[in-house]
Amino acid sequence: MLLEISGLTKYFGGLAAVQEFNMYVNEGEIVGLIGPNGAGKTTLFNLVTGILRPTKGKVMFDGRDITGKRPHEVAELGIGRTFQLNPLFPNFTVLENVVASFELHPRSSLLDAFFNTSTYRRNEKYILEQSLEIMQLVGLDKVKDELAKNLPHGYQKMLGMARALAVKPKLLLLDEPIAGMNPDEIDFTMTAIRKTQQQGVTLVVVEHNMRIMDLCDQVTVINFGQKIAEGLPKEVRQSKEVIQAYFGSEHVA
Amino acid sequence: MIEKQISTRGRKLPKPAVYGGIVIILALLPLFIKSNYWLHVLILTLIYIIVTASFRLIAISGQFSLAHAAFMGIGAYTSAVLSRWFGWPVWLTIPLGALMAMVIGAFVGYPFARLRAVYYALVSLFFGIGVLQIINALGIWTGSYQGLTGIPPIFGASKIPYYYFFLGLTSLCLLVMYRFEFCRIGTTLKAIAQSYLVAGSVGVNEIRYRVLALAAGCFFAGLAGACYAQYNLVLSNLSFNFMATLWIVMYAIIGGLNSFAGPIIGAAVLIIIPEFARDLKMYTPYVAAALLLIVVYVIPQGLAGLPEVIRSWYIRRKAKRVSHAS
Repeated sequence: MLLEISGLTKYFGGLAAVQEFNMYVNEGEIVGLIGPNGAGKTTLFNLVTGILRPTKGKVMFDGRDITGKRPHEVAELGIGRTFQLNPLFPNFTVLENVVASFELHPRSSLLDAFFNTSTYRRNEKYILEQSLEIMQLVGLDKVKDELAKNLPHGYQKMLGMARALAVKPKLLLLDEPIAGMNPDEIDFTMTAIRKTQQQGVTLVVVEHNMRIMDLCDQVTVINFGQKIAEGLPKEVRQSKEVIQAYFGSEHVA
Repeated sequence: MIEKQISTRGRKLPKPAVYGGIVIILALLPLFIKSNYWLHVLILTLIYIIVTASFRLIAISGQFSLAHAAFMGIGAYTSAVLSRWFGWPVWLTIPLGALMAMVIGAFVGYPFARLRAVYYALVSLFFGIGVLQIINALGIWTGSYQGLTGIPPIFGASKIPYYYFFLGLTSLCLLVMYRFEFCRIGTTLKAIAQSYLVAGSVGVNEIRYRVLALAAGCFFAGLAGACYAQYNLVLSNLSFNFMATLWIVMYAIIGGLNSFAGPIIGAAVLIIIPEFARDLKMYTPYVAAALLLIVVYVIPQGLAGLPEVIRSWYIRRKAKRVSHAS
C-alpha cells in the first residue's frame, strides 16, 4: 500500500469538509476520486499534501506518517500534485515553469548556484534535458517559449502535470486534469496519464468527468466529506448512492 | 548557460563592455566635476542605488518590505555607535553594521515569512517604526532626536576618495545581487512570488527562501547604511524613517520593479534631477507622485521599460503608415 488515509477529518469552523475518511492506494494503480462539487475532493488533496492540517486522522505514505508535514516536505518524500486553478507560474515561459520546478532532483546547494560551480552547471544541464523530455511527454515542446499565462486552458493543465512530474513523484495527485478540455485534448491527456503510470508512477485523479473512469483501476466516491462508495469502476457506476449523489434520489430505479 | 535562457528571454542584455564603459565614464567624472556639492549628490546616488537594488532583491520574492530604510538605519547606527563610542576601527564596524542588519532581517524573516501582501507591508511598516523608536530610546548612545555627531570618517576631508570608494562598492554589490537573481536562487524566489502553493508543491521550502531573500537584502541595506554613516559623519533618524522607505519604494517602482536596471535608473533620476532645480525642491514629492502616475499608466515597466515602449510605439506607427500608403 503506497498511500493509506485513515479517519481523516477536517473541520472548517463547524462544517466538516472531510469526515472520518478512509482510503488506500496500491502501488502502480490509477485511483479515481469522484464526487459532486464541494464534496471535499480538493480538501482531501490539500490535507494529504500539507497545505491544510487535518483536525484528526492519519495519512501514511510509503510506510511513513506524513500527517501535518509541510508541503515541501511532502514533495520531498515523493508526492507530486497539480492544482485545479492557477496551476502554474504565470509570468514564466513554459520551459521556465518546468525548469523552476526541478527543486529536488537534482538539488544544487545555494553556494553552488551562486558561484556557478561545475556541479551546478552539470545539474542545470541535466534539468534542461529532463524538462524537454517531460514537455515532450505532455506535448508542450512546441510552445516551450510561450508565457504560461498566454497558453490555452488545456495546455495550462498539461503544464501543471509537467511541473508535477519534475518532482519525480512516486505518487501523483491530479486535481481535475481533464475539466474544461475538448475531446481531443481529453484523449491526449488520458494517454499522457497512462504513459505516466507505465513509468511506474501511482496516480490519484480527482475528476467530475466520468470519462476518467476508463483509466481507473479503483474508484472512490465522496460526498459531503464522506466516502459513499468504492470499488471497480463498473461497480461504482451502478451503485445506488452514487447515482443518488449525482442525479438526485428520483433517478434511482 | 541555462540561466541565461531562463532570465533574459527575448531581451538581449547589453554586453559587459557596455557596463565597463559606464563604470569608466563614472570613474572619470571627478576630473570634470570640481564642485564638492555635486560629488556629494553622486555619492548619495551610489548609496541609494545599493539600497534600492536590495529592496528589489527582497521584492522579487514577493515580500514588499516597508522597513527597508530602518534596516539601513540598523547598519548605520551599529557602525556609528561602535566606531564613535568604542573606538573600533571603521573597517571593522562597517561589516558589523551590515551583519547586524542581516541577522535582524533573518530573525524577523521567520515570522514575516508567514505573511502576505498587505499584511506583510503593514507588519514590516510597524517593525520599521519600532526600530526607530528603539534607536531614539537609546538616548546619548544614538543621539536620539538631536542626531549623532562626531562619527569617525573613512577617509580625509576630500570627497574624491569617497566617490571612488562608493563607485567600487556599488559596482561590487550590484554584481553580487545580479548573480543572486540570475541563478537558480533568483528563479526560485520569482516562482514563490508568482505562486507559493505551486512552489511548495514542487518541494520549494518557501520560508527558507523568503528568509534568505530578506536577510540578503537587509545585508546590503545595512552595508550601505554603515558606509553612509562613516561618510556623512552625522546621523539623523529622519534618514531612516517611514518617509525614507517610501522614497526607496518610489525609486524602485518609477525605475521599474521588474528589471534589474530599474532601481539603478530610478534612484539616479530621482536623486540627481531634483538637484538641477534646487529652488523647486519642495515640489519634488508632487513631481514624484505625478511621475508615478505616468509610470503606472504609460510605462508600467518603469523607466527601465521606456526603450521597449518607444520601440513598440515606433513599430506601430510604421505599420500604420504602410497600411495608409497601400
